[in-house]
Amino acid sequence: MIIVTVIPLLALLGISLNMAFSTAMSQPDWALALLLASLLAHRNNWLWVLPCALIHDLILYWSFGTIALMMAIIPLAMIYLDHHLGAGLPQRIVLMLAAILTLPALGWDMQAALLTLCLCVPVWHLLTRQYARQAA
Amino acid sequence: MNFTQRSHKLWLIGLLLVGLFAISRLFAGSSAMLTMWPALEVLHAPVQWWQSVDLWFIERQKLQQQYLTLEKKAQDQAAVIQEVNSLREENRQLRNILEISNIIGYRWHAAKVRGRSPEPMSQRLILQVPDVSKDDVIVSSEGLVGVIDTISSNHATVRTIFDASLAVPVTIPGTQLAALSRGQGDSLSINFIPLEIAPRKGQVFYTSGAGGLFPAGIAVAVITDVQPIPGQLFAEVSAKPIAHWQRDSWLAVASQLHSIQTFTTP
Repeated sequence: MIIVTVIPLLALLGISLNMAFSTAMSQPDWALALLLASLLAHRNNWLWVLPCALIHDLILYWSFGTIALMMAIIPLAMIYLDHHLGAGLPQRIVLMLAAILTLPALGWDMQAALLTLCLCVPVWHLLTRQYARQAA
Repeated sequence: MNFTQRSHKLWLIGLLLVGLFAISRLFAGSSAMLTMWPALEVLHAPVQWWQSVDLWFIERQKLQQQYLTLEKKAQDQAAVIQEVNSLREENRQLRNILEISNIIGYRWHAAKVRGRSPEPMSQRLILQVPDVSKDDVIVSSEGLVGVIDTISSNHATVRTIFDASLAVPVTIPGTQLAALSRGQGDSLSINFIPLEIAPRKGQVFYTSGAGGLFPAGIAVAVITDVQPIPGQLFAEVSAKPIAHWQRDSWLAVASQLHSIQTFTTP
């Protein structure tokens, strides 16, 4: 429950940071990193991650689904790959890289994409640990 | 039975993806971005407070040093002003020669840039500016930036000339050329340039004033590439904007004098 509240709020703050200081310093796509990490940590999170991704796109790109489209594909791909290959880390890493590589295609520089990756990985790790603790 | 269920699921997933792709092509407008301005104000506030506090605590010696530096700067600027005055006179004469009319019929005012979209070209901006209306023209010290898309009290979002939905009528002064500049995301495409009068790389396009939205005579783009297309009447011309608004803190807004409709809160 805490994750469902905190991550969207942090993502919203991240969107604001992106807009407020976009030229002052190189920044990651804070919202994408947090939402992607939540999705990779627990695929059922798509229920709230997808609307958040739509809001992210609406604010930053004035369109309905740029990152959101990728976010919609990830849980489906996770279900498919987990079913065929078994739950595993490599396919999730590939999906994460694919999602982050959409950033350069949207006009972000490579440094921002790398920063997003650097933020996504530890958040993913933290959330996975959190979910494991909850399950135990 | 199982197979039919799985096939239905696949159909549903396929439809969902196609639906999402269709939605992603929709242009949603800038209202969502505009709703973020209170958050941007809050984020900017500590920086402004820091600057204010910093001003209070500057030491005396530092102030004296700053005074001397500023005095020297003022002297330098006096020289620059003289140079500017002579350039202004030269510019006026050149304008007369080129028969470019001065931009009249517009009210000019300054706008502070509050936020911008994060890609390096900053294709969308939020300005803090009162008394503007939709489609007012935004100009930097170098050239055309875009038009106002949505407004709220004291804030407005800007569609820059990189936006594909914005077409700017352009010309090259002293020629019969009449073309349209369209945004391509991170560059500009100049449409309807006949091959036989295609300009050269490096030439600058100015607003022609056609259509009445943009005042005539504002620099828009510099040509980066001209390619003839075999069998086509028009050349393929690429350009980049003259204005570099990615780092400008202030921009100018030109409001048409005869149609100023200001935003009023109910």
